[in-house]
Amino acid sequence: MSESTKGPHIVRSYDRDLEAIQALIMKMGGLVEAAILESANSLEARDEEQAERVRKGDKAIDALEEQVNEEAARLLALRQPSAGDLRTVLTVMKISANLERVGDYAKNMAKRTGVLLQMAPIEGSSGAIRRMAKAVEIMLKDALDAYIQRDVELAQDVRLRDHEVDQMYNALFREFLTFMMEDPRNITACMHLHFIAKNIERMGDHVTSIAEQVIYLVTGELPEDERPKADRTAIDPTTAQ
Amino acid sequence: MYDNPLTKRDAVTKEVKISARGCQVYYGDTHAIKDVDVDIEDKTVTAFIGPSGCGKSTFLRCLNRMNDTIDVCRVEGDIRLDGEDIYDPKVDPVQLRAKVGMVFQKPNPFPKSIYDNVAYGPKIHGMSRNKAELDEIVERALRRGAIWDEVKDRLDAPGTGLSGGQQQRLCIARAVATEPEVLLMDEPCSALDPIATAQVEELIDELREQYSVVIVTHSMQQAARVSQKTAFFHLGNLVEYGETGQIFTNPQDPRTESYITGRIG
Repeated sequence: MSESTKGPHIVRSYDRDLEAIQALIMKMGGLVEAAILESANSLEARDEEQAERVRKGDKAIDALEEQVNEEAARLLALRQPSAGDLRTVLTVMKISANLERVGDYAKNMAKRTGVLLQMAPIEGSSGAIRRMAKAVEIMLKDALDAYIQRDVELAQDVRLRDHEVDQMYNALFREFLTFMMEDPRNITACMHLHFIAKNIERMGDHVTSIAEQVIYLVTGELPEDERPKADRTAIDPTTAQ
Repeated sequence: MYDNPLTKRDAVTKEVKISARGCQVYYGDTHAIKDVDVDIEDKTVTAFIGPSGCGKSTFLRCLNRMNDTIDVCRVEGDIRLDGEDIYDPKVDPVQLRAKVGMVFQKPNPFPKSIYDNVAYGPKIHGMSRNKAELDEIVERALRRGAIWDEVKDRLDAPGTGLSGGQQQRLCIARAVATEPEVLLMDEPCSALDPIATAQVEELIDELREQYSVVIVTHSMQQAARVSQKTAFFHLGNLVEYGETGQIFTNPQDPRTESYITGRIG
């Protein structure tokens, strides 16, 4: 049952509390989306100032997560939410944790960008990383839209799109491996770039988790079907060659 | 990992203790209960929730024929206790109520001693042959009512002199003294403070080992805390009946959701 078909609470301040906590999530989501794009852009544009902004901006994301947790604890204690309200509070807490992790990955990318700027650029890689980051950022935007609209179909779609991010990661993994084999002097830069790609791949997993929370929020059940996974670098080294 | 999720808590199939089919209740021209079908399980706490006037107390009172005492009240349909029709003309309502005990909203001890309050039922049902046996029954009932330690030194004191919480536990002891099989509780905690409420709730959980308990409550949290099954009544209809965990996390009917989350709807 979608939120919009439900009436308002008899105690109106309850609605205001629930809306306030969800507004915090949206604010957090906005900051995290920007951090993903900016960290990838700073790498491509070799812009140390922008990377520094991302590194500093993570504090605000962490503070918002803490605020969401406090508000959620307060709401649980004072209002004892049940049914859809309870699921709202539970998902808000999980989504904020996921967003916080995505923010950390963006910060880590910006840190590595700082190191990479000291070295010669690896041809073509930063563009691929930026495209991968863009894909994840759109997934996150859609996941948060699905959350606000209580849109299960969109959430399901986001969940399936993680596959594409995994494939992009696989391609980059192979590419970096080739560069490193070609010339050992590339190893340091490629290791950092690989970690950046891995960070983005992990962001995709967290965004997928957010989409799954939306499905739980609306239907009361987490999706049970296995979603397709394409990151095979850990189990099948031959695909990486 | 998902061996025993909350929503499936105590979902083991239990024997049906009371089954109602097509139950209708009229107060004069007012149709108070509309075609209710429900199976109440043995050794389970079942909570009836719903807004005032939804029929939950009326339905509860059908289960031990308390509505017989109201002239304008008419009950139709089939209500069976262990498969036997309780509205059969051959059934003696007094015997039925010994099997299906009741505790009311307001503690209502008899204006007698604590001992006599509990001994009254077993005496009229001839459950003891001598004083020693009766003493034993009274002690067992008071222990089961979780009030023995507080009153054992003053069994001759009037029951009305106890605190509200103690009086309610005395009434529960009185209800269990006749060894009922089902215990009906109509808002047993609404006149009690949180401590006494917790004691009564703990008691309800213990009683579940032996009885089928049906509790009407206005406190949603109480229903969630003490019951394994919850039935939501609205305007005389049984809207939703299911596992308590499911009702409070993922109700299927929008009317249930609106009610338990405190929405206008």
